[in-house]
Amino acid sequence: MKLVYYAVAAALVFTGAAAHEMTPTYPKMKPSYIDEVSTTQMRMWNRRNDVFYYEITVFDDQWNTVPFATPNKVIRLGFLETKTFDVYIRDKDVARVEYICSTSKQLKQDVQSTGIKSRICSRVK
Amino acid sequence: MFKSIFTLGAIGLMSSAAFANDTPITGNVSSKCSIFTDTPGVYGNPTPDELSTESADGGVAPVLRIDVSIADYYTAKISWPNAFSTAPSLSDSVAWDGEVTVSNTSDTNMSGYEAAKLEYDNHTEYELTVAGSTWFSVMSEAKYGVGKALPGGEYKANVTAECIAD
Repeated sequence: MKLVYYAVAAALVFTGAAAHEMTPTYPKMKPSYIDEVSTTQMRMWNRRNDVFYYEITVFDDQWNTVPFATPNKVIRLGFLETKTFDVYIRDKDVARVEYICSTSKQLKQDVQSTGIKSRICSRVK
Repeated sequence: MFKSIFTLGAIGLMSSAAFANDTPITGNVSSKCSIFTDTPGVYGNPTPDELSTESADGGVAPVLRIDVSIADYYTAKISWPNAFSTAPSLSDSVAWDGEVTVSNTSDTNMSGYEAAKLEYDNHTEYELTVAGSTWFSVMSEAKYGVGKALPGGEYKANVTAECIAD
């Protein structure tokens, strides 16, 4: 068992892995300073050194897009940079909002032979 | 002389103790999913009409890792490519195939992931029922139209890894 832990720790240290992270897992909508608009705050951390742009999207439970507003729908996030952003949704759409997702956007020249596109979706409950 | 030095020292210690302050470090473990790119893939070109990430075909299978901090909060959905993101102009259709497999785990309780996976179209879903790290290896294969060689040039495709909150 110890060997497995050592192997995992060594893999984490030596593979130079890069990650995409978004929290909270279950954001809660609350009234914003704008009438009839709700908001929630999300936080992203970019540990992918091959990706500097992330696209924010909002979906219902059938994966149809839901209109929303945020300062930037495509966020530039440097390596090891953290960013907090607000997502605004009209009150009439709040009930059908299910997922808030961030998707990595690689520049064409940065994609290797088979690149990895990552997407993390938080669920609004 | 010594007495006064000791007295001053004692006062100094007492007064510094009076000003001592606790510097707490706080933290909490909340549910979180991280997607790591572990190994970028490379297509091998074993025959003129085929690109493959199989090592036997001269390719490298991409490996990605998904970490979850708490069990039962996320589903991992991994999709092998079904289109090129970059390719020369192609005049015939491309037949895509692929396979996603669990290549390593940080916990022996994850041994059931492979048997419980759900496959449809080019997607494979895993319920992440154990906290920890899971490595996924993605095999991708693209075969060009019957009896035709792939045009020369650069070919790129994307594997998509998703972490969806349950």
